[in-house]
Amino acid sequence: MAISTEKLGYVLQNFVSTTSDVQGAAVVTPDGLPLAVNIPNTMDEERVSAMSAAMLSLGERIGMELARGAIDRISVEGDAGFSILTSCGNDAVFLVLASKNAKQGILMLEIKRTVSDLRYILG
Amino acid sequence: MALDPQTFLQTLEERIGFTNKDKHLLNLYADWGKQIAPEMSDHFYSYLNRDSEMSAILNAKEGRLHRLKDTFIQWFYEMFTGIDNWGVSYAERRWRIGLVHVQIGIAPQHVVPAMATVIYHVGKKLRTDGKDLELYDALSQICMIDLAFIEQAYVEVSSAAVLKETGWTEGLFRRLIATGANSIQGVNR
Repeated sequence: MAISTEKLGYVLQNFVSTTSDVQGAAVVTPDGLPLAVNIPNTMDEERVSAMSAAMLSLGERIGMELARGAIDRISVEGDAGFSILTSCGNDAVFLVLASKNAKQGILMLEIKRTVSDLRYILG
Repeated sequence: MALDPQTFLQTLEERIGFTNKDKHLLNLYADWGKQIAPEMSDHFYSYLNRDSEMSAILNAKEGRLHRLKDTFIQWFYEMFTGIDNWGVSYAERRWRIGLVHVQIGIAPQHVVPAMATVIYHVGKKLRTDGKDLELYDALSQICMIDLAFIEQAYVEVSSAAVLKETGWTEGLFRRLIATGANSIQGVNR
């Protein structure tokens, strides 16, 4: 079954617009290619995609090397907010950008729900 | 990024224009090549040894420089014979030589100018010995091919190490290089 980019875009748009303090999101391939992107226009889509895939892959490698088991997510916390990377199976990586004010519990729950939707669309 | 040496050799031959005529000419002067190989080996390693960093590497182990000189002599002669008419054996041997350069730490930045001095001295020798000057072009071409093997070995080994340690795919690695290069000031496509 072909992947519906329209559906991917819709899920992403819905996630960004309805989740409090989320500033952007993207779904990219493990090769770092963008599948659907909704990020601030000050950011370079290609670079963000490549970095997201690189980081998740490296995180998984670190998890393996340091015997931490399978990695659920990678979170980068800066003084301006969070970048959270979650695997969507073998074919995609989900990136979420959230402000410092984001409530972690709600954010993680919303990410979990969205990842489930994305997995379904990606087959 | 597993490289197939023979395919790589064929690609380079086409790219550089290394023809059967060049191979025939090199074969014809193989004995002369063997005769001048020790002198060229001396030129090559004298050049490298002048650099303190290279000198430290070349003399890090007892007998290393002597072994490397012997290897050079053999390598130089093989440029004339082509081992198996520049076939699988030639390609695999060139690839192994490239890998040895990586292991020892003789980087392209050192090999390329050192090889240029060899080409210069070969040219001088050709004129002194009254040899066919077309041989100079043929030898320059095979020399460029062999240098490309050494350079590629550095790229392949470095890339393979990064991929192994990070778990990145080849596609992602290339993309990171491309996006990274774009962000470096002064690099315009």
